[in-house]
Amino acid sequence: MIQVNDLSFSYTKSPFISGMNFSVSEGEIFGFLGPSGAGKSTLQKILIGMLRTYQGSAMVNGVECKKRTKHFYENIGVDFEFSTMYEKLTARENLQFFSSLYEKKPRPIDELLERVGLEQDADKRVADYSKGMKSRLNFIKALLHDPLLLCLDEPTSGLDPTNSHMMKNMILEEKAKGKTILLTTHNMQDATELCDRVAFIVGGKICALDSPHNLIMSKGAATVTYTWFENGEHSASCPLGRVSSDEQLKGLIAENRLQSIHSSEPTLNDIFMDVTGRTLV
Amino acid sequence: MKAIRFSFFQMVVTMGRDMMLFMACLAPILAGFFFRFAIPVLETVLTQSFHIPAVISPYYKLIDIFFAMLSSTMFCFVSAMVALEESDEKTAVYLFITPLRKTGYLSARFGVPAVIAFLVTLVLLPAFKLTPLSPAAIFLFAAGGTLQGMIVALLVLTVSSNRLEGMAVTKLSTLTVFGAVVPFFIKDKVQYGVFLLPSFWIGKAACENGLFYMLPAFALSVMWISFLLKRYMCKM
Ligand SMILES: Nc1ncnc2c1ncn2[C@@H]1O[C@H](COP(=O)(O)OP(=O)(O)OP(=O)(O)O)[C@@H](O)[C@H]1O
Ligand SMILES: [Mg+2]
Repeated sequence: MIQVNDLSFSYTKSPFISGMNFSVSEGEIFGFLGPSGAGKSTLQKILIGMLRTYQGSAMVNGVECKKRTKHFYENIGVDFEFSTMYEKLTARENLQFFSSLYEKKPRPIDELLERVGLEQDADKRVADYSKGMKSRLNFIKALLHDPLLLCLDEPTSGLDPTNSHMMKNMILEEKAKGKTILLTTHNMQDATELCDRVAFIVGGKICALDSPHNLIMSKGAATVTYTWFENGEHSASCPLGRVSSDEQLKGLIAENRLQSIHSSEPTLNDIFMDVTGRTLV
Repeated sequence: MKAIRFSFFQMVVTMGRDMMLFMACLAPILAGFFFRFAIPVLETVLTQSFHIPAVISPYYKLIDIFFAMLSSTMFCFVSAMVALEESDEKTAVYLFITPLRKTGYLSARFGVPAVIAFLVTLVLLPAFKLTPLSPAAIFLFAAGGTLQGMIVALLVLTVSSNRLEGMAVTKLSTLTVFGAVVPFFIKDKVQYGVFLLPSFWIGKAACENGLFYMLPAFALSVMWISFLLKRYMCKM
């Protein structure tokens, strides 16, 4: 679905995105992770044909993004990180207008509104919507024309846990229908749950690319941390796989002197810190 | 085509809901009635009370070409306001990544209104003109006026970054229309100081009854429009 070869791009004279190579196959959810300003949105803009002054090659659905035609957009749905609605129109009017731009038969608007819980507010002006309502509306706008590729830029930002869960389910449904999804997020939990593979982007370069599972495994096993009291509080930790050879821990268990014990599995967040030397915001 | 059609209708709906934009579209007709019926009466009153042969009538030609530029300037101003709002709301960015794309967007916002303005002028100018104009003159003045309107609209779009600024910039950019006044009042060579304004040449064509002056007007208009379009494309 997507092939990127030796892609470079910059807004200014100094290099920004450089030497990027990756491909995304059909039906895959591919995540872009990285700190603010790393170039995630920029990369998405290249892939949807908005920035056309790049070097190298970026093919989407068999078309070089620079040379996109009208038809190219029949199969791309985009949810930007900002709202892109006519504020003075109602949600329904907005969706009706945007769907009228495609040759394809649109998906039923009422059904989509109902899926994201906006059926009661369909005839309210978008200007009177809350942040989370706007996010949901922008999300279904990307689905209107049933595109093969969905580009979602931080779709769950500003959503409450229930709505966020609902949106993640809808994303998985699209995947089940064979759609390809590019997902940018700052939420490591979401990335782990949804993405087949993720690319860590820092300073315009990909520093790691693999499935969340493999990345987490590469970090090594979980560790056990325990504390006990003996002239003040002490703590120690050992890898989960070697607890039986930790004599101190065994002793503490035998004497029932443990104050606390917990295991911590590595997460994508740890991987992120390793790869980039900083935490996500 | 479908996308261009629907996004043009979308703009018409927006205009219909906005009192100011709606009035701007009606302005050519109101102004037409005023020019055609009130000005000759006013002229009679003025000439009789001051006992001089002519006050406004030497400038009837100027009024006619202003009228030729009016519809287009108004329609394109309305389009520019709608387009500025669309860039404020980021809906323009979204339209660029639908099958409409940038080219379709520009057609819907400037191409279609300009064509409509041209046709409207072809109908209104013969109806409201104050001086005898040949069909060729009507056609050329309407075309020149249409291009002038597009220049105003594109100036507003490239210079201002939101609707509020757009209103202010509109007042300034309509000044480019007043190049037409120069040949009527400045007979000296100094008049060529504003030779870059297409409206100057339109004014000259009317003032000196020389339709060939429309040639530089068209050439300069095309240059202005392509330069401004390039700037606008970069900005978006
Ligand atoms: N239109 C533009 N012109 C010039 N520079 C830009 C433009 N858009 C973005 N940039 C710069 O490019 C860099 C990357 O921006 P981008 O939006 O791709 O980051 P991001 O990874 O999406 O960040 P975030 O997680 O905050 O959304 C930033 O330094 C930004 O200032
Ligand atoms: Mg971003």
